[in-house]
Amino acid sequence: MSIAIVLFALLVTAWFLAMIESWTATGRLHPAAPLLSGLAHLGRESVVPRTPDRVFFETAPVLLLVAAMLGAAVLPLAPNLIIADLATGALFFNAALAYVLVALIMGGWGPNGAYAMVGGWRFLGQLIAYAMLIVMPITAVAMRAESLVNTAIVGSQESLWNIVYQPLGFVLFYIAAMALAFRPPFDLPTAEGELAGGVDAEYTGVRLAVLRLARLLLVVTLASATTVFYLGGWHGPLLPPWAWSLIKTLAVAVSMLLVGHYLPRIREADLLGWCWKLGIPLALLNIFIVGLLILVVP
Amino acid sequence: MSATQQYLLLLGMAIGTLGVVLSLYGLARAMGPTRGEPGKDVPASAGTMSRDPVWGRYHVRYYGYALLFLAFDMEMAYMYPWAVVYKEEGLVALVDMGVFLAILFLGLLYGWSQGALRRQ
Repeated sequence: MSIAIVLFALLVTAWFLAMIESWTATGRLHPAAPLLSGLAHLGRESVVPRTPDRVFFETAPVLLLVAAMLGAAVLPLAPNLIIADLATGALFFNAALAYVLVALIMGGWGPNGAYAMVGGWRFLGQLIAYAMLIVMPITAVAMRAESLVNTAIVGSQESLWNIVYQPLGFVLFYIAAMALAFRPPFDLPTAEGELAGGVDAEYTGVRLAVLRLARLLLVVTLASATTVFYLGGWHGPLLPPWAWSLIKTLAVAVSMLLVGHYLPRIREADLLGWCWKLGIPLALLNIFIVGLLILVVP
Repeated sequence: MSATQQYLLLLGMAIGTLGVVLSLYGLARAMGPTRGEPGKDVPASAGTMSRDPVWGRYHVRYYGYALLFLAFDMEMAYMYPWAVVYKEEGLVALVDMGVFLAILFLGLLYGWSQGALRRQ
């Protein structure tokens, strides 16, 4: 039962997000826009490139979707509303989202097109930039919770949310999450106007629909993770726990879309430079500060 | 739920997702076939198949970062179990990991000074 509720909540959040995304594109708020757009994709031809690596080409969209779903499966919506409350939940979340890289490299390699291939290799460079900024802030979160169980991590924030306790970690995680979901300004693998869509370029019809859905769910998963790790998860006054989780997740996801809307795309060399010269020292400093806080403040 | 059951559940979810995607593909196929027209299946470039092979060697210009990344990624494998017992162990844990991280961080600084942190 709880599994069905969590999956339904995931779908509803993705629906809202798709609605808002189409709103920013067309200027009209249309509640049925995601459904119509999805049906339109189903009706279009799904062309396979002439000399593809068929296995990679077909696997990429499915793998991206599965990675996003597995990541969402270990994040709690409310104390009992979680699909699998693993003992190593925070670690599993990282492991599941590592497959985003694999899916994008496959999607770049599969169609045997130059733009797609460049997009795929670019994302490998992007992973080297953002990966440490995902795992290091999560370490600091686990230090405070004394656990990798995601429900325990939310439980540790009952008195004070992690965004206040470790604001530095929040900022780093938020930026890295946007880079992981390859939202603008970090949309290097799919750069429109520069790579002709990159990894997206050779996918059409129903395969593109699956790829788009996977990207959307990836944003929802990462927004949900930000909520769980930093914004106190289900904690909040008056409303029931699941409602707070949904509201926070949606707010974070929308803020990610908004930020991306107003920033120019960053160059790969700059992203790598910023992440390694500034991001990683700050992430280590964050772990040190949290370590001192845990020891000094009882 | 036991750990085995949880992992089986996750496996089931992955298979279920695959099932949803396959049924979507089936639905799309039922709505009409893809017409084979010349030139339609050429990857996006100048309208013809590219002269050079795409699956060739690619200069990974971020290899300096990539080598450092390996060191840091290994370090993270130690950090997670350390983070869980950190509060219990107290100051000893802070000093232990502090020394380890300081050495690693010096390595990062050294790499930086030698020009590893730039696109080659």
